[in-house]
Amino acid sequence: MTYSAEISRANPSCFVFLVDQSASMDDPIGGGARQRKAEVVADAINRLLAELSVKCAKEEGVRDYFHVAVLGYGHTVGSAFTGPLAGRDLVPLSQVADQPARVEKRVKKVPDGAGGLVETTTSFPVWVDPVANGATPMCRALARAESLVSDWVARHPDCFPPIVLNLTDGESTDGDPASAAWAVQTHVTADGAALLFNLHVSATNTAPVTFPDTDVALPDPYARTLFGMSSLLPQHMRFYALQQGVAAGELARGFVYNADITSVVQFLDIGTRATELR
Amino acid sequence: MPKRGNTERECEDSGRVRDTGGTVLAAVADGASESLLSGEWADLLTASLLDAAPDVLDDADRFAAALVDAGRSWRAWLDDYVAGREAAGRPIAWYEQPKLDRGPHATVLAARFASGRWDAAALGDSCLFHVRDDRLECAFPLVEPGQFDNSPPLVNAFTRDTALLARHVRTASGRIEPGDEFFLCTDAIAEWFLREAGAGRRPWRVLRGFAADHDGFAAWLDAVREEGLMRNDDVTVVHLDPG
Repeated sequence: MTYSAEISRANPSCFVFLVDQSASMDDPIGGGARQRKAEVVADAINRLLAELSVKCAKEEGVRDYFHVAVLGYGHTVGSAFTGPLAGRDLVPLSQVADQPARVEKRVKKVPDGAGGLVETTTSFPVWVDPVANGATPMCRALARAESLVSDWVARHPDCFPPIVLNLTDGESTDGDPASAAWAVQTHVTADGAALLFNLHVSATNTAPVTFPDTDVALPDPYARTLFGMSSLLPQHMRFYALQQGVAAGELARGFVYNADITSVVQFLDIGTRATELR
Repeated sequence: MPKRGNTERECEDSGRVRDTGGTVLAAVADGASESLLSGEWADLLTASLLDAAPDVLDDADRFAAALVDAGRSWRAWLDDYVAGREAAGRPIAWYEQPKLDRGPHATVLAARFASGRWDAAALGDSCLFHVRDDRLECAFPLVEPGQFDNSPPLVNAFTRDTALLARHVRTASGRIEPGDEFFLCTDAIAEWFLREAGAGRRPWRVLRGFAADHDGFAAWLDAVREEGLMRNDDVTVVHLDPG
């Protein structure tokens, strides 16, 4: 059975995040929100890294179930980490958790237990800042990701397959990214092929789409290209998506359009899930 | 025994047995991997259940109330733990806080053996096996290997909803005949046990053979995990032979 390998410190997997940092990311996201696309993807990456760290946290620290790279592409292609990890590519998750650039305090509203909401302050670690500068060399970024994946698979032939998660507005400027995307997914461990997921942030005012199994509802060629580049969700991930109320069909792909993708972290199995009784 | 690749300290199972003048109480608990301090919670659960009133295994409501009582003890334990971390210059990190706020989770199973009768209560997938005349007389609460998954019902230390817990508690009881044996097992070895029994083999003979041979049991576990016959997980077995 594929995509069932144990994820452990002895048999870790890896995540490669690709962050579009091109000039077009300076535009606002669709749907009436005032946030710039660059801010949306930076927030998404920081939340993903935080969720992954919390998921793998134990009393003695964060366990290195994953090694993580965050590559930016825009004016250049390279590490998008800021702070102590600047310039690094694959970093053990414990070091990611221990070395954010800063930990901000953010206010959020939570249920007060009496039907209302109350403001509370939470920690928001930051590893990646919003950047919008230059062209969109998505093919080069995917090739760089492929290189990391290839090297990882050679060193960890039995691991849960690497996951590459591309966050972009979709407008590649160095060619059709489909073949570079396919190349990433040709690297295979004993547990299956590397996975490529895409988060498309768009200025188009269209309804959000999460893990679709067809591209018919997608509004533009960029979205359809990214959908076509995305891996099928493995069976167990589809199962968890369904548990979270997402109608992920048999052919659902790891593609999200103007919607939250942090749920991907919850798709990963590192042991007995801490779920509440209902 | 910890899962392969983990240290003894990282084992999140707990098992306890107490003989109190003719009544034997036993409990196992299995802390959830995704929780923080779940091994400590499992340990507090088994200790608390053995200290609880003797009637705690009489029905699901009383067992659920005992779980809530254990949770009340957790708050004080956690306050001490947080203070200890601060005193040691290792305050709670940002990535620990969300899990501490949610509380630890564990499965739990407890059983009482007295006056020719056994009574058990469970929440989750830790199992009791009753063996008589070299055959499996009763499996509780799960009866087939296909019933195990990685989202079993769990008791959270912060749950105060006794009715909610009681809805998920399962109870069982039976007679004890001379020569009967009982095995209380956490999920990975329980799943193996049921698969072996379902295939017509006698897993109780294998486990009985180890008695107190800790090293022999560890070597056997390594072998069955290597062969893929058992999930790599923490393992606890309590073997009782009431005589």
